[in-house]
Amino acid sequence: MPELIMAELNYKRHLKVDLFPTIWCPGCGIGSIMMQLAMVLEEMGLDETNTVIVTGIGCTGRMGSYLKHESVYTLHGRTLPVAEAIKTFRPELNVIVVSGDGDLASIGGNHLVHTIRRNAHLTVLCNNNEIYGLTGGQTGPTTPTGTKTLSSPIGNPNTPINLQGIVRSSPHALYAKTTVYHQQHMRTVIREAVEHDGFSFVDITSQCIENNGRRIGFASANEMLTHYRKTYKRAPKGAQTLNPFEIGILYPADGAASEGEAGDGNGAAPKAAAPAAPAKTVPPAVPAKTVPPADDDQKARRRAESQKRLALMQKLDPAVKLRVAKGEISLADALREAGVDPAELEG
Amino acid sequence: MTRKLIQGNEAVFHGAVAAGANYYAGYPISPSTEILNIASAYAAAHHREFRFLQAEDEIASANAIIGASLAGAKSFTATSGPGFSLMQEAVGYAQKVGVPTVFVDVQRVGPATGMPTMPGQGDILQVKYGSSGDYTPLAFYPNGIEEAFRVTVQAFNAAEESRSPVVVLADTFVGHLNEVVDLDELASGIEVVERTIPALARHEPGSPRFFAGVLMYESGPSAGEPATADGDEYLRQFYAAKHRHLEVAKRYPLYEHGWNRDAEILVICYGIVSRVASPLAADYALFRPIRIHPVLGDELREVSARYREIVVLEANDGQYADMVELAIRRPVKRVPLLGGRISIEAVRDGLDRVLSGGPSEPPIPPAPTERVAPSPLGIG
Repeated sequence: MPELIMAELNYKRHLKVDLFPTIWCPGCGIGSIMMQLAMVLEEMGLDETNTVIVTGIGCTGRMGSYLKHESVYTLHGRTLPVAEAIKTFRPELNVIVVSGDGDLASIGGNHLVHTIRRNAHLTVLCNNNEIYGLTGGQTGPTTPTGTKTLSSPIGNPNTPINLQGIVRSSPHALYAKTTVYHQQHMRTVIREAVEHDGFSFVDITSQCIENNGRRIGFASANEMLTHYRKTYKRAPKGAQTLNPFEIGILYPADGAASEGEAGDGNGAAPKAAAPAAPAKTVPPAVPAKTVPPADDDQKARRRAESQKRLALMQKLDPAVKLRVAKGEISLADALREAGVDPAELEG
Repeated sequence: MTRKLIQGNEAVFHGAVAAGANYYAGYPISPSTEILNIASAYAAAHHREFRFLQAEDEIASANAIIGASLAGAKSFTATSGPGFSLMQEAVGYAQKVGVPTVFVDVQRVGPATGMPTMPGQGDILQVKYGSSGDYTPLAFYPNGIEEAFRVTVQAFNAAEESRSPVVVLADTFVGHLNEVVDLDELASGIEVVERTIPALARHEPGSPRFFAGVLMYESGPSAGEPATADGDEYLRQFYAAKHRHLEVAKRYPLYEHGWNRDAEILVICYGIVSRVASPLAADYALFRPIRIHPVLGDELREVSARYREIVVLEANDGQYADMVELAIRRPVKRVPLLGGRISIEAVRDGLDRVLSGGPSEPPIPPAPTERVAPSPLGIG
């Protein structure tokens, strides 16, 4: 466990913090992935002498420029052929691919199928934000059916690709599903994926508030994270498949459970990693679909409401605003104390 | 003394190995497939020193040789026109990033699937302009077996010197022509240029590098950061690469000025056409480019000045002819040898036609009235 504490203290040495703030939007999920990856690298003693990062095109691909590792920023969709060749020629290196759902499963889809079939010993982290974010918000291969995007204004007509199925088509590949909300779980599965002696794919649901979330009814990244907290549950122990909205790890069917420096091959890492946010109560059943896209009336109403809240908040002094934000006092009470009629909230 | 009857494709492979090649990724495509087959057999016999991948497509092959090169390998792939088209984005990436590697294009008649077993020379301009944006490619085109071996070694060397992808052009004929060569003799006395850039993770620790297709600052206080809105940085990098490639090209002024150099008419041809047209040697002078790109401007200007007439014979619709005209600022006559019809008869008919003032376009044969029996060999 000391290694974990040290990792949490020292992970920043893997990051080019002098280049911060990053180019990612406020509220982007990619930063969490980068942070947990840096912690895993620190935990495992992986550095620029033994680990190469290969990134794809898209917002996620920019991660390479913030990591203090030798990295290759490939053409769109071509991380896997490049990474596999690096690993083949230099088997002593750890090769970690970090890319998005579009880069890996759409333009890169053919390579995904074959790299898995050849069981290239790569770790693939997929920032699965269900959208093509960098180009403004077009449908991606994992975008849920019905989602309105810039390239599906009346709703995505297609079924999302089955990433789990593709990875699990190989008896040697490890598939893990997690979300950026479940940071400790994410760190655990990333570690297992890196340790796995074969192809491993970490499917990380992540929020893109700017070019996806706000178009489908989320007012903030926080709302998206809350949605992940409420919707995604741990799969039962020993599950052989993950149902929609389940997080967990599926070990290869060939029985080669993850082996690596951590040792006992069947989850020294998860045992060591204390779960950060175990569900304290059994959450209520959630519908098996994402938040329905808001129609224009709802969006206009929400916009008007939040603008009204904002205008009223301006009337409060900073200390009071902080208490409202922390939930210590309701906005109505705070307004009353400041002498503003809280009825204006309803208006 | 290993004298062996080998084909051009095999000579290319042996040349690559002699130059230090230790990684091959490719996809089967006529008429280059033998290189893939030979590479896989070689890798099976030398699996520790030579890595092989039959990739799922040409795009994966091209990206794989880039990855392998960055990891420290001397890598190459072989394909034909349609496969080379698929590889263009990767060619541009290798040009932009500065990745030494070799692409072998054994040409056939295009476009698209075209005539897979018929020789063509239609990729001359694809080599120059196939990828998006501006870049200065190097390309060589042998016309025989020994030359194929030597030119492949030179391509690998030029790749290291220019830090860029170099193309070895060939065609169905050169690829499948068999000649007896002494492999040991060919391999002795060649000079091999070694890699100077450190491979991935063998750099100076503390300054990790970032190899990106996107414009990045390569040095200075912003090293490693994107320069995607900095036109000044573009100028610095573009001209540095262009000058470097042109400098390297000057070390390979490869061409043949032969046949009857005192004749009045200069024939320019290369690859298969230069072999098929060799009966003309008594009556015509020959300029045979072996370095196709960058164009041999100085050499063409110097040689062509001596001749009152220049005819370019090629198995395409005037691609090298266009390059010659641009380089020497003088019109040339053109004989296109299309559809795989590359024979001395077709050459003579074409020469007679254009030298007597006729059009470069050949007469169009009438359509068949009966079903054409399919030829098992694809030879007309």
